[in-house]
Amino acid sequence: MTKSRSRRITTIVRYFVLTVWAFIAFFPIYWMISTSFKVDTQWFAWPPYYFPDPPTLSNYLNVWFGAQEYTETQYAISSQTPLISLRNSIVIATTATLLSVVFGAVIAYGVSRYKILSEARMFQLLMLRMIPPIVIVAPLSLYYAMIGLLDTMTGLILIYFITSLPYAVWMTKSFIDEVPREVEQAAEILGASRWRTIFEVVLPLVRSGLVATFLFILILTWSEYLLALILSKTNVSTLPVELSKYQGTTEGKVYGRQAALSVGITVPLMIIGFLIRKHLARGFSFGMVRR
Amino acid sequence: MARIELVNLRKNYGTVAAVKNINLDIEDGEFVVLVGPSGCGKTTTLRMIAGFEDPSEGEVRIGGRVVNDLEPRDRGLGMVFQSHALFPHKSVAQNIEFGLRMKKVPAPERQQRIREVAEMVRITHLLNKMPGQCSGGESQRVALARTLVTNPSTFLLDEPLSSLDAKLRRELRAECDRLHEELKRTFIFVTHDQEEAMTLADRIVVMRDGIIEQIGSPMDIYSDPVSYFVADFFGSPSMNLIAGELSHENGAARFRSPTFDIELPAAFTGVAPGKFTLGVRPEHVRIHTAEDGAGGNGTGGKGTNRLPIRLVEPLGKDTLLYFNDGTERAFVAVSEGLELAMLKAGTPVSLSFDPNRLFVFGTDGRRVRPA
Repeated sequence: MTKSRSRRITTIVRYFVLTVWAFIAFFPIYWMISTSFKVDTQWFAWPPYYFPDPPTLSNYLNVWFGAQEYTETQYAISSQTPLISLRNSIVIATTATLLSVVFGAVIAYGVSRYKILSEARMFQLLMLRMIPPIVIVAPLSLYYAMIGLLDTMTGLILIYFITSLPYAVWMTKSFIDEVPREVEQAAEILGASRWRTIFEVVLPLVRSGLVATFLFILILTWSEYLLALILSKTNVSTLPVELSKYQGTTEGKVYGRQAALSVGITVPLMIIGFLIRKHLARGFSFGMVRR
Repeated sequence: MARIELVNLRKNYGTVAAVKNINLDIEDGEFVVLVGPSGCGKTTTLRMIAGFEDPSEGEVRIGGRVVNDLEPRDRGLGMVFQSHALFPHKSVAQNIEFGLRMKKVPAPERQQRIREVAEMVRITHLLNKMPGQCSGGESQRVALARTLVTNPSTFLLDEPLSSLDAKLRRELRAECDRLHEELKRTFIFVTHDQEEAMTLADRIVVMRDGIIEQIGSPMDIYSDPVSYFVADFFGSPSMNLIAGELSHENGAARFRSPTFDIELPAAFTGVAPGKFTLGVRPEHVRIHTAEDGAGGNGTGGKGTNRLPIRLVEPLGKDTLLYFNDGTERAFVAVSEGLELAMLKAGTPVSLSFDPNRLFVFGTDGRRVRPA
C-alpha cells in the first residue's frame, strides 16, 4: 500500500519537475516563433500577446526576401540579404564540421588502436578548446589579415575546423573504443587489409556515433558568433552575425524580423536532427556494439 | 605443408616477460592444445602464431618459412576468438561470406561455399539472422563456419568454448573433434580447461609462467606428470597431494605425513631422505572396509592408514569418498560402482595404494624419479 503510494508520489513529483523544466526550456522557442508572426505593435506590448493577433508573414517576407511593404523606416539593414548569409553558413558550417569529423575519426582511430597520442596529449588537445575565443580573436584577425584569410570562407572554415577538432577526436574515440579489437582482428585474419577493415567493419559500427558527433559540432559551428563577427567583414557574414544586425543603435530593436531570422536559423538544424534521430538516440546512448 | 615451428619464442611487455623461450614443433594435421592457468602465456603464444603480436625474440615458422614479418592475412591461418568476434552489422551469411569476398572468390561460388559450411556446422537455418539474434552456441558455430569457409591450413582457437555453458561446451567440443577428423587440418587450441585438453588433444602443451612445463599425449600428461604443477592441474577430481617426509627404515623407503605412513617401491631407497610431496590419483586409492578383512596397511607396512570418512558422494557410475587428512584439501578416493555408497560419514576405513602409481615431488615441484 504505502509502497505503491510512495511510488505514485515519486512519479507525480518527477513529472512535475520535468514539466516545469520543459516549460522553461521550450518557452523561449515558443516566444521566438510567436514573435516572428506578430506585427510590430505587439513586439513590446504589455500585457504581452501570447498569440500573434492577427498573425502576419511580413517579418519573414521582409527579412528573407527584402519585401518593404510594411515599414518604410526599416530599409535594407545589411549589405547582403540573409539568403546569402544562409548560403555562407551552410557552406562554412558543413565543410568545417565534415572536415573535423573525418580528421577527428582518423586521429581517434590512431589514438584508440595505436596510442599515437598519450593521455596527456589528448588532454592538451582538449585544452585547445578551453581557451576562450575572445582571447585569440584579436591576434588571429591580425594574423588572418596578413595571410589574406580575413573575410574569406576558407578562413572561417579553417578556424572552425581547428577549434572543433578536439571535440571530434574525443567523441569519436569513445565510439571507436567500443568496437572490440577482436572483431577487427577477425576481419584481418580473414584477409581484409587495414583500410578495408576500417571501412567495412569499424566505420559501420561507429556510424551512429559519427552522426551524433557531426550534429553536435554542426550546432557549434552553425551558431558560432564571435569569431564569425571579427574574422569576417562583409563578404562572408554568417547567419548569427546577420542576426545581430537587427539590434543596433541605428536600427533599434527589430524583434519580429529577428525572430523570423532566428526561426530560419533553427529550422535547418531541427530538420537534420529529425532525419537522423535514429542515430542520435543510439549515438548519444553509446554501447551500441553488442559484445 | 603447414608444419608450425616456434623457435626460442619470447614476448616481453615492458619488463614483464609473458612468454619466455618457447620451442615447439607442431606437425601438419595435429591437434595441439595449449593449456595452463590464466596468465601462463598460452594466448600470447597463439597470437604470435596468428601475427597479432610481434615476438620480442625468436621465430615463428609456417611450412618452413619464417613468418615474423608477415601480416596475419598472409599467413594462411584461420582463427576463432573467445568472444566469437562476429561482425554485428552483417547477417550470418554475410559474416561467412566476408573471407571469401576478401579472397575475391566469384559470387556464385561464394553462395555455394556458404551453403556447404553452413550444413557442415548445422547453421543453415541461421543464415539470414543477425549475430545479435543468435545464442552463444550458435554464434560460436557461425564463427567456426566463417573460419572454415576460407579453408585455412591451420585453425587457431582461442578459448572458443569458455563463454558457453557446460552442455554446449561438450557439444561443441565434439564438433571440433569431428571437424578435425574430417578436415585433417592442424588445430591449435588454447584453453584453461584440463578436461577440454584431455579430450581433444593429440598432444597437450602444458604452460606455466611463460614456459612449457610439459609436452605429451593426454595419457602421458595424466599418468606421467613431470611436476607437482602438472599433476595437480590434470585430473578430476584432482590428484591427492600429501606433504610429508621420506625416510629410510630397514633398507626400505617410507613416506610419512601426520596421517599417512606409506611404503614406497624399493627404487626410492636411492633417494636422499627429506621433505617431499606424495601424489596419488583418487582412482589409485584402494578402500578396505572392516568386513573385507584386509589389513589397510599401506603397501604392506603397518596398518596406520586408517581414516574416518567425511563425506560420501555417490555419482552413479562411481562413488567419491572424502577424508579429512588434516590438510586444506580433502583427501579423495574413487571407487567404481555404488558398493561403497552405503558407508556412513564417520566410518573408519583403511586405505592402501598401488605402489607403482605413486608420484613423489621434491620441494622445487619437480618429479623425483628413482634411479
